[in-house]
Amino acid sequence: MQKVNPRLEIREKVINIIFISVALLSSLLLLAMLLFILRESWPIWSQVGVMDFLSGTTWRPVSTPPQFGIAPMLLSTMWVAGGALLIAAPLGFGCAIFLAEFAPALVAAVLRPVLHMLTGIPSVVYGFLGAAVLIKFFEIRFDLASGESLFAASLVLAIMILPFITANSEVALRSVGPEYRDAAMSLGVSRQYLALRILVPLARKGMLGSLVLAFGRAMGETMAVLMVAGNTLMLPFSWFNKGEPLPALIALELGSSIPGTIHYQALFAAGLVLILMVIAVNLGVNLLLRRLRSGVKPF
Amino acid sequence: MRKRTWLSVLLASVLALCLLAGCAGTSNEQGTDKNAATEKTSIKIGGSSTMAPIIAKCADNFTEEFKTWNKVDPSLPEEPIEIFVSTGGSGFGLKSAVDGTFDFGMATKGLKDEEKAQFTDGTITQLGSDVLDIGVNAANPVARVKPNLTTEELVAIFSGQIKTWKELDPALPDRSIVVAVRDLGGGASEVFDKAVMKGTPISSEALQIPSMGALAGKIMDNADTIGYVSSGLVNQNPDKIIPLSVDGVVPTLENINSGAYKIGRPLLMLSKDKPDAKEQKFLDYLQSDKGLKVVEDMGYIPVSQ
Repeated sequence: MQKVNPRLEIREKVINIIFISVALLSSLLLLAMLLFILRESWPIWSQVGVMDFLSGTTWRPVSTPPQFGIAPMLLSTMWVAGGALLIAAPLGFGCAIFLAEFAPALVAAVLRPVLHMLTGIPSVVYGFLGAAVLIKFFEIRFDLASGESLFAASLVLAIMILPFITANSEVALRSVGPEYRDAAMSLGVSRQYLALRILVPLARKGMLGSLVLAFGRAMGETMAVLMVAGNTLMLPFSWFNKGEPLPALIALELGSSIPGTIHYQALFAAGLVLILMVIAVNLGVNLLLRRLRSGVKPF
Repeated sequence: MRKRTWLSVLLASVLALCLLAGCAGTSNEQGTDKNAATEKTSIKIGGSSTMAPIIAKCADNFTEEFKTWNKVDPSLPEEPIEIFVSTGGSGFGLKSAVDGTFDFGMATKGLKDEEKAQFTDGTITQLGSDVLDIGVNAANPVARVKPNLTTEELVAIFSGQIKTWKELDPALPDRSIVVAVRDLGGGASEVFDKAVMKGTPISSEALQIPSMGALAGKIMDNADTIGYVSSGLVNQNPDKIIPLSVDGVVPTLENINSGAYKIGRPLLMLSKDKPDAKEQKFLDYLQSDKGLKVVEDMGYIPVSQ
């Protein structure tokens, strides 16, 4: 048995308390933010009603009487984020499998930092490129009256979330235990078989987790979407319609809304909906990851 | 090892203190605010995205001309002139002027009485007027075929009743009209609603564009676009954006000054309190010939002195 030094023990306790309070404070911050947004948006929930706010299709914040329905924005958010995932997922998974299993060391050494660098490019730059190049391209190539669309926003977002999917999936692939690899090798299966039939199923949950994370990020992205989605108030029935995702709505109108008015409160309510959606996605990831830890080993 | 532990404890406690300090911030605000007022070294201005370039240019000229405050007025201290201008829309300018985030708010819209009431102790200064032209792309034949639109036609276009150029006039191509507007509730859309739409909702297919500059850019890029643009931006791009007449009235300087052209809004500088000596000097400069020259150079109509 070790003799415990009483001074050391006190020190440990002090350290403990400090760390716990720091951790508590940062979670309090999130809670305080949620409470603040809830308070600011309360009149909307009590006057307009949760269902009417979420399912209403008309957004006329400054008309008399004003109408607040964010269904078009919710649907736009889903189109944009879901579409981005649809484009980025196959690319990201392909990249991750290639980097983890097939890429020669030299190629991987170049590709990996380049992919990671993509995450560091400010979103306004992506948005600007999208507005200047992509939209013009759609207008000329497909002879559209105007090139903004949810699809264009998805394309830009797909490039932005691609590095996240790739990096996280690659980690998931690499964290598969070496015994599986050794066993497969000694049975003489091909590298393709090893990667696609053994490693990918084992890393499936981690790769799925990377998708959900990317989805959360795509939902919250503002600048890029604001510049290419077109910001119309129509209910978007197709991927190729224009639309106004929630972050774009808030960014566009918060500056010109007057504090204390119902318009201002409605924007806070839209923000609350967005935060709750992103939190729900993150909770989903956590549940998935927990299952992953307990799920793989006893296989 | 020991050193490292202590270092992390130190960092953690600093972090904790910072967080606590953040919590305490609101109760202390009153005290620090007063301090800031007496020792304020810079003027902060924010608001309307239409006015920001004008005021920023004036601030640049002002800073370059005088460099330090004592050169503006010998009674002022020898401190470098610092003026910060940021954008965010008229509503933001109004809000920030009221809550004190900015010393001056910029707003480009006619103020309602209850909004004016917030500035009874301060100042509301009009520097000029901004006129909203109905702008189309230079390549759009409408500028030749039908250079004059009635208010009814404008309402039909902007509310989405007319969807193609051909419906407007048979001589025009059968292409969709792309309606570009500023965000609903913003200064410009309020002016347009008051002068033209009169409560008719804007089409839900209209593109909402986050700034006046981007709206002008959209018209320059896309031949089927119609939108309301600051006359300033039209005058800066004379060959790319063509202004249309409304009810037979051409948006010329004479028609605007005489009030015949109706779609316009004032350029306002707002402050909640009486400006201090430095702020007053800058405000005077904005209203001087040099300041109003910038307003005119940017394509807006300066106030007559």
